[in-house]
Amino acid sequence: MESEVNGILVAAHELKAPLCLLKQLAFSIELALDEGERQKIRNQMIDVSDRALRQVEDLTKISRLSDGLFEMEPVAVRAVCDEVTAELRTLFRFNHRNLEIEYRNRNRLVYANRELLYSVVYNFCLNAMHYSDEETRSELTLSDKDGLVRLAVRDFGPVLPADVWRSLKKGWVEKPTSIAMRPGSSGLGLYIASKFSQYMKANVGAVRHRDGTSFFVELLPSKQASLF
Amino acid sequence: MLVYIIDDDKIFAECLERFLRVAEKDMSQFIVKHFSNVIDAVAEMNGEVPDVVFLDILLDGPDGFTLLNEMASYDDTARVSIVIVSSLDIRRDLKDYGVVAVLDKATMTPEEVGAVLRDLHDGGSQDE
Repeated sequence: MESEVNGILVAAHELKAPLCLLKQLAFSIELALDEGERQKIRNQMIDVSDRALRQVEDLTKISRLSDGLFEMEPVAVRAVCDEVTAELRTLFRFNHRNLEIEYRNRNRLVYANRELLYSVVYNFCLNAMHYSDEETRSELTLSDKDGLVRLAVRDFGPVLPADVWRSLKKGWVEKPTSIAMRPGSSGLGLYIASKFSQYMKANVGAVRHRDGTSFFVELLPSKQASLF
Repeated sequence: MLVYIIDDDKIFAECLERFLRVAEKDMSQFIVKHFSNVIDAVAEMNGEVPDVVFLDILLDGPDGFTLLNEMASYDDTARVSIVIVSSLDIRRDLKDYGVVAVLDKATMTPEEVGAVLRDLHDGGSQDE
Protein backbone atom coordinates (compact mmCIF):
# COMPACT_ATOMS: atom_id res chain seq x y z
CA MET A 1 0.00 0.00 0.00
CA GLU A 2 2.81 2.37 0.95
CA SER A 3 4.66 1.75 -2.33
CA GLU A 4 1.42 2.27 -4.25
CA VAL A 5 0.88 5.65 -2.57
CA ASN A 6 4.50 6.57 -3.28
CA GLY A 7 4.00 5.59 -6.93
CA ILE A 8 0.92 7.80 -7.19
CA LEU A 9 2.86 10.69 -5.62
CA VAL A 10 5.69 10.29 -8.13
CA ALA A 11 3.24 10.14 -11.03
CA ALA A 12 1.45 13.25 -9.73
CA HIS A 13 4.76 15.09 -9.35
CA GLU A 14 5.86 14.08 -12.85
CA LEU A 15 2.60 15.32 -14.32
CA LYS A 16 2.69 18.56 -12.35
CA ALA A 17 5.83 19.67 -14.19
CA PRO A 18 4.27 19.85 -17.69
CA LEU A 19 1.16 21.53 -16.31
CA CYS A 20 3.26 24.24 -14.65
CA LEU A 21 5.15 24.68 -17.90
CA LEU A 22 1.98 24.96 -19.98
CA LYS A 23 0.68 27.67 -17.67
CA GLN A 24 3.90 29.68 -18.01
CA LEU A 25 3.89 29.19 -21.78
CA ALA A 26 0.31 30.50 -21.88
CA PHE A 27 1.50 33.67 -20.12
CA SER A 28 4.41 33.81 -22.55
CA ILE A 29 2.23 33.94 -25.65
CA GLU A 30 0.91 37.35 -24.59
CA LEU A 31 4.47 38.60 -24.07
CA ALA A 32 5.98 37.30 -27.31
CA LEU A 33 7.81 39.88 -29.38
CA ASP A 34 6.53 38.80 -32.77
CA GLU A 35 4.53 36.16 -34.63
CA GLY A 36 7.64 33.94 -35.01
CA GLU A 37 8.10 33.77 -31.26
CA ARG A 38 4.39 33.18 -30.74
CA GLN A 39 4.51 30.25 -33.16
CA LYS A 40 7.54 28.82 -31.36
CA ILE A 41 5.67 29.00 -28.04
CA ARG A 42 2.60 27.33 -29.56
CA ASN A 43 4.80 24.49 -30.84
CA GLN A 44 6.37 24.11 -27.41
CA MET A 45 2.91 23.93 -25.84
CA ILE A 46 1.92 21.19 -28.26
CA ASP A 47 5.13 19.20 -27.59
CA VAL A 48 4.79 19.52 -23.81
CA SER A 49 1.12 18.49 -23.91
CA ASP A 50 1.86 15.55 -26.22
CA ARG A 51 4.49 14.16 -23.85
CA ALA A 52 2.27 14.62 -20.81
CA LEU A 53 -0.67 13.00 -22.58
CA ARG A 54 1.48 10.06 -23.59
CA GLN A 55 2.52 9.59 -19.98
CA VAL A 56 -1.09 9.69 -18.81
CA GLU A 57 -2.09 7.21 -21.55
CA ASP A 58 0.76 4.89 -20.53
CA LEU A 59 -0.32 5.00 -16.91
CA THR A 60 -3.88 4.25 -17.97
CA LYS A 61 -2.64 1.30 -20.03
CA ILE A 62 -0.85 -0.12 -16.99
CA SER A 63 -4.17 -0.34 -15.19
CA ARG A 64 -5.62 -2.18 -18.21
CA LEU A 65 -2.81 -4.73 -18.55
CA SER A 66 -4.52 -7.19 -16.25
CA ASP A 67 -7.51 -7.30 -18.61
CA GLY A 68 -5.20 -8.83 -21.23
CA LEU A 69 -6.65 -6.63 -23.98
CA PHE A 70 -3.33 -5.88 -25.67
CA GLU A 71 -3.06 -8.40 -28.45
CA MET A 72 0.33 -9.93 -29.14
CA GLU A 73 1.35 -10.19 -32.77
CA PRO A 74 4.43 -10.09 -35.02
CA VAL A 75 5.73 -6.52 -35.00
CA ALA A 76 8.38 -4.98 -37.26
CA VAL A 77 10.68 -3.73 -34.53
CA ARG A 78 12.83 -1.48 -36.74
CA ALA A 79 9.74 0.37 -37.98
CA VAL A 80 8.66 1.03 -34.40
CA CYS A 81 12.13 2.34 -33.50
CA ASP A 82 12.12 4.55 -36.61
CA GLU A 83 8.77 6.05 -35.64
CA VAL A 84 9.84 6.77 -32.07
CA THR A 85 13.13 8.35 -33.06
CA ALA A 86 11.40 10.48 -35.68
CA GLU A 87 9.00 11.72 -32.99
CA LEU A 88 11.76 12.47 -30.48
CA ARG A 89 14.46 13.87 -32.73
CA THR A 90 13.29 17.49 -32.44
CA LEU A 91 13.13 17.22 -28.67
CA PHE A 92 16.67 15.80 -28.53
CA ARG A 93 17.94 18.57 -30.79
CA PHE A 94 16.24 21.24 -28.68
CA ASN A 95 17.99 19.86 -25.60
CA HIS A 96 21.35 19.70 -27.39
CA ARG A 97 21.50 15.92 -27.44
CA ASN A 98 21.87 13.44 -30.25
CA LEU A 99 20.05 10.19 -30.79
CA GLU A 100 21.97 7.66 -32.86
CA ILE A 101 20.54 4.43 -34.23
CA GLU A 102 22.22 1.18 -35.13
CA TYR A 103 20.35 -1.88 -36.38
CA ARG A 104 22.24 -5.19 -36.36
CA ASN A 105 19.31 -7.56 -35.81
CA ARG A 106 18.65 -10.29 -38.36
CA ASN A 107 15.26 -11.11 -36.87
CA ARG A 108 13.09 -8.29 -38.12
CA LEU A 109 9.85 -9.33 -36.46
CA VAL A 110 9.30 -9.70 -32.74
CA TYR A 111 6.40 -11.09 -30.78
CA ALA A 112 4.92 -8.02 -29.10
CA ASN A 113 2.07 -5.59 -28.90
CA ARG A 114 2.89 -2.69 -31.19
CA GLU A 115 1.39 -0.02 -28.94
CA LEU A 116 3.20 -1.26 -25.84
CA LEU A 117 6.49 -1.74 -27.68
CA TYR A 118 6.25 1.83 -28.95
CA SER A 119 5.87 3.05 -25.37
CA VAL A 120 8.82 0.95 -24.20
CA VAL A 121 11.13 2.43 -26.86
CA TYR A 122 9.75 5.92 -26.28
CA ASN A 123 10.26 5.77 -22.52
CA PHE A 124 13.76 4.31 -22.85
CA CYS A 125 14.76 7.09 -25.25
CA LEU A 126 13.20 9.83 -23.13
CA ASN A 127 14.93 8.43 -20.06
CA ALA A 128 18.25 8.43 -21.94
CA MET A 129 17.74 12.06 -22.89
CA HIS A 130 17.08 13.09 -19.29
CA TYR A 131 20.11 11.22 -18.02
CA SER A 132 22.51 12.32 -20.78
CA ASP A 133 24.79 15.26 -20.36
CA GLU A 134 24.43 18.16 -22.78
CA GLU A 135 26.16 17.78 -26.14
CA THR A 136 26.32 14.00 -25.73
CA ARG A 137 24.57 11.27 -27.63
CA SER A 138 22.19 8.46 -26.80
CA GLU A 139 22.35 5.25 -28.80
CA LEU A 140 19.46 3.03 -29.79
CA THR A 141 20.63 -0.39 -30.98
CA LEU A 142 18.89 -3.53 -32.13
CA SER A 143 20.85 -6.79 -32.09
CA ASP A 144 20.36 -10.56 -31.84
CA LYS A 145 21.34 -12.15 -28.56
CA ASP A 146 20.89 -15.78 -27.54
CA GLY A 147 17.98 -16.26 -29.87
CA LEU A 148 16.25 -13.06 -28.75
CA VAL A 149 16.14 -9.57 -30.21
CA ARG A 150 17.78 -7.09 -27.86
CA LEU A 151 16.62 -3.49 -28.04
CA ALA A 152 18.99 -1.31 -26.03
CA VAL A 153 19.17 2.42 -25.35
CA ARG A 154 22.40 3.75 -23.92
CA ASP A 155 22.92 7.13 -22.34
CA PHE A 156 26.13 8.98 -21.54
CA GLY A 157 25.45 10.73 -18.28
CA PRO A 158 25.43 10.44 -14.50
CA VAL A 159 25.29 7.07 -12.78
CA LEU A 160 21.86 5.54 -12.35
CA PRO A 161 20.30 6.09 -8.87
CA ALA A 162 20.94 3.06 -6.66
CA ASP A 163 17.26 2.27 -5.98
CA VAL A 164 16.41 2.16 -9.69
CA TRP A 165 19.47 -0.02 -10.27
CA ARG A 166 18.50 -2.44 -7.49
CA SER A 167 15.00 -2.75 -8.96
CA LEU A 168 16.38 -3.43 -12.42
CA LYS A 169 18.69 -6.13 -11.15
CA LYS A 170 15.60 -7.97 -9.91
CA GLY A 171 14.23 -7.91 -13.44
CA TRP A 172 12.13 -4.77 -13.61
CA VAL A 173 11.44 -1.48 -11.90
CA GLU A 174 8.86 -2.25 -9.24
CA LYS A 175 7.94 1.34 -8.53
CA PRO A 176 9.07 4.82 -9.42
CA THR A 177 11.61 6.33 -7.04
CA SER A 178 11.35 9.09 -4.46
CA ILE A 179 9.68 12.38 -5.35
CA ALA A 180 12.90 14.11 -4.34
CA MET A 181 14.15 13.34 -7.83
CA ARG A 182 13.76 16.00 -10.48
CA PRO A 183 10.85 15.67 -12.92
CA GLY A 184 11.63 13.29 -15.74
CA SER A 185 14.17 11.34 -13.72
CA SER A 186 12.02 9.57 -11.15
CA GLY A 187 12.19 6.30 -13.07
CA LEU A 188 8.49 6.55 -13.96
CA GLY A 189 9.33 5.99 -17.63
CA LEU A 190 11.39 2.93 -16.74
CA TYR A 191 8.58 1.67 -14.52
CA ILE A 192 6.15 1.99 -17.44
CA ALA A 193 8.62 0.27 -19.80
CA SER A 194 9.14 -2.54 -17.27
CA LYS A 195 5.43 -3.16 -16.85
CA PHE A 196 4.83 -3.30 -20.61
CA SER A 197 7.88 -5.54 -21.17
CA GLN A 198 6.65 -7.89 -18.48
CA TYR A 199 3.28 -8.12 -20.22
CA MET A 200 5.01 -8.96 -23.52
CA LYS A 201 7.03 -11.72 -21.76
CA ALA A 202 10.21 -9.82 -22.55
CA ASN A 203 13.29 -9.59 -20.35
CA VAL A 204 14.23 -6.13 -19.22
CA GLY A 205 17.44 -5.00 -17.60
CA ALA A 206 20.32 -2.57 -17.54
CA VAL A 207 24.08 -2.50 -17.95
CA ARG A 208 26.07 0.02 -15.96
CA HIS A 209 28.94 1.72 -17.77
CA ARG A 210 31.53 4.06 -16.32
CA ASP A 211 30.02 6.88 -18.34
CA GLY A 212 26.34 6.01 -18.37
CA THR A 213 23.78 3.23 -18.51
CA SER A 214 22.22 0.95 -21.13
CA PHE A 215 18.63 -0.13 -20.65
CA PHE A 216 17.52 -3.09 -22.69
CA VAL A 217 14.55 -5.26 -23.41
CA GLU A 218 14.91 -8.70 -24.98
CA LEU A 219 12.02 -9.70 -27.17
CA LEU A 220 11.02 -13.04 -28.63
CA PRO A 221 11.50 -13.15 -32.39
CA SER A 222 8.38 -14.03 -34.30
CA LYS A 223 8.37 -17.30 -36.29
CA GLN A 224 6.88 -15.39 -39.19
CA ALA A 225 10.16 -13.58 -39.60
CA SER A 226 11.22 -16.19 -42.14
CA LEU A 227 8.50 -14.96 -44.51
CA PHE A 228 10.31 -11.64 -44.97
CA MET B 1 22.65 43.80 -13.44
CA LEU B 2 23.84 40.29 -14.15
CA VAL B 3 21.12 37.66 -13.74
CA TYR B 4 21.62 33.89 -13.71
CA ILE B 5 18.79 31.50 -14.42
CA ILE B 6 19.64 27.98 -13.23
CA ASP B 7 17.03 25.52 -14.46
CA ASP B 8 17.42 22.24 -16.34
CA ASP B 9 14.13 22.80 -18.14
CA LYS B 10 15.17 24.89 -21.09
CA ILE B 11 11.62 25.86 -22.05
CA PHE B 12 10.87 27.05 -18.52
CA ALA B 13 14.11 29.06 -18.45
CA GLU B 14 13.06 30.73 -21.70
CA CYS B 15 9.69 31.65 -20.16
CA LEU B 16 11.40 33.14 -17.14
CA GLU B 17 13.78 35.14 -19.31
CA ARG B 18 10.81 36.42 -21.30
CA PHE B 19 9.12 37.61 -18.07
CA LEU B 20 12.34 39.35 -17.02
CA ARG B 21 12.68 40.99 -20.41
CA VAL B 22 9.18 42.47 -20.11
CA ALA B 23 9.88 43.68 -16.57
CA GLU B 24 13.18 45.13 -17.69
CA LYS B 25 11.59 47.62 -20.11
CA ASP B 26 11.53 50.36 -17.49
CA MET B 27 14.77 49.39 -15.79
CA SER B 28 18.45 49.81 -16.47
CA GLN B 29 19.76 47.12 -18.76
CA PHE B 30 20.70 43.74 -17.45
CA ILE B 31 22.28 40.57 -18.81
CA VAL B 32 20.70 37.14 -18.42
CA LYS B 33 22.73 33.92 -18.47
CA HIS B 34 21.15 30.50 -18.44
CA PHE B 35 22.67 27.34 -16.89
CA SER B 36 21.12 23.90 -16.80
CA ASN B 37 23.17 22.68 -13.82
CA VAL B 38 24.93 23.91 -10.70
CA ILE B 39 28.44 22.90 -11.78
CA ASP B 40 28.41 25.10 -14.90
CA ALA B 41 26.96 28.01 -12.92
CA VAL B 42 29.62 27.77 -10.21
CA ALA B 43 32.37 27.59 -12.85
CA GLU B 44 31.04 30.83 -14.39
CA MET B 45 30.77 32.48 -10.95
CA ASN B 46 34.50 32.07 -10.51
CA GLY B 47 34.89 34.63 -13.28
CA GLU B 48 32.04 37.02 -12.60
CA VAL B 49 29.64 37.00 -9.66
CA PRO B 50 25.98 37.62 -10.61
CA ASP B 51 23.73 40.13 -8.90
CA VAL B 52 20.70 37.84 -8.87
CA VAL B 53 20.21 34.09 -9.27
CA PHE B 54 16.86 32.56 -10.19
CA LEU B 55 17.36 29.04 -8.94
CA ASP B 56 15.43 25.82 -9.49
CA ILE B 57 15.89 23.19 -6.78
CA LEU B 58 15.46 19.84 -8.52
CA LEU B 59 18.40 19.75 -10.89
CA ASP B 60 20.50 17.13 -12.55
CA GLY B 61 23.60 16.50 -10.39
CA PRO B 62 24.01 18.77 -7.35
CA ASP B 63 20.65 20.33 -6.46
CA GLY B 64 19.70 23.92 -5.67
CA PHE B 65 20.24 23.48 -1.93
CA THR B 66 23.82 22.43 -2.62
CA LEU B 67 24.37 25.66 -4.51
CA LEU B 68 22.85 27.69 -1.66
CA ASN B 69 25.36 26.13 0.73
CA GLU B 70 28.22 26.66 -1.67
CA MET B 71 27.35 30.32 -2.28
CA ALA B 72 26.89 31.02 1.43
CA SER B 73 30.44 29.77 2.02
CA TYR B 74 32.20 32.60 0.19
CA ASP B 75 32.11 36.31 0.92
CA ASP B 76 31.45 37.49 -2.62
CA THR B 77 28.75 34.93 -3.53
CA ALA B 78 27.11 35.14 -0.09
CA ARG B 79 25.98 38.67 -1.02
CA VAL B 80 24.14 37.54 -4.16
CA SER B 81 20.32 37.76 -4.06
CA ILE B 82 18.69 34.44 -4.77
CA VAL B 83 15.16 33.82 -5.96
CA ILE B 84 14.06 30.20 -5.71
CA VAL B 85 11.78 29.10 -8.55
CA SER B 86 10.50 25.61 -7.91
CA SER B 87 7.44 23.42 -7.94
CA LEU B 88 8.41 22.11 -4.51
CA ASP B 89 6.56 23.41 -1.48
CA ILE B 90 9.39 25.30 0.22
CA ARG B 91 8.47 26.75 3.59
CA ARG B 92 11.90 26.87 5.20
CA ASP B 93 13.30 30.25 6.01
CA LEU B 94 16.34 30.54 3.76
CA LYS B 95 17.16 34.23 4.33
CA ASP B 96 20.54 33.26 5.77
CA TYR B 97 21.38 31.80 2.37
CA GLY B 98 20.57 35.01 0.53
CA VAL B 99 17.11 33.87 -0.57
CA VAL B 100 14.99 36.98 -1.05
CA ALA B 101 11.91 35.33 -2.58
CA VAL B 102 10.43 31.94 -3.40
CA LEU B 103 8.33 31.62 -6.55
CA ASP B 104 6.10 28.61 -7.08
CA LYS B 105 6.30 27.35 -10.66
CA ALA B 106 2.64 26.37 -10.49
CA THR B 107 1.27 29.74 -9.45
CA MET B 108 3.80 32.39 -10.45
CA THR B 109 2.87 35.08 -12.97
CA PRO B 110 4.97 37.42 -15.13
CA GLU B 111 3.81 40.29 -12.89
CA GLU B 112 5.10 38.48 -9.81
CA VAL B 113 8.49 37.87 -11.45
CA GLY B 114 8.60 41.52 -12.51
CA ALA B 115 7.76 42.69 -9.00
CA VAL B 116 10.58 40.61 -7.50
CA LEU B 117 13.03 41.98 -10.04
CA ARG B 118 11.87 45.55 -9.45
CA ASP B 119 12.28 45.14 -5.68
CA LEU B 120 15.81 43.85 -6.21
CA HIS B 121 16.61 46.63 -8.63
CA ASP B 122 15.21 49.38 -6.39
CA GLY B 123 17.01 47.88 -3.39
CA GLY B 124 20.24 47.81 -5.38
CA SER B 125 19.78 51.45 -6.46
CA GLN B 126 19.17 52.57 -2.88
CA ASP B 127 22.32 50.81 -1.76
CA GLU B 128 24.31 52.71 -4.34
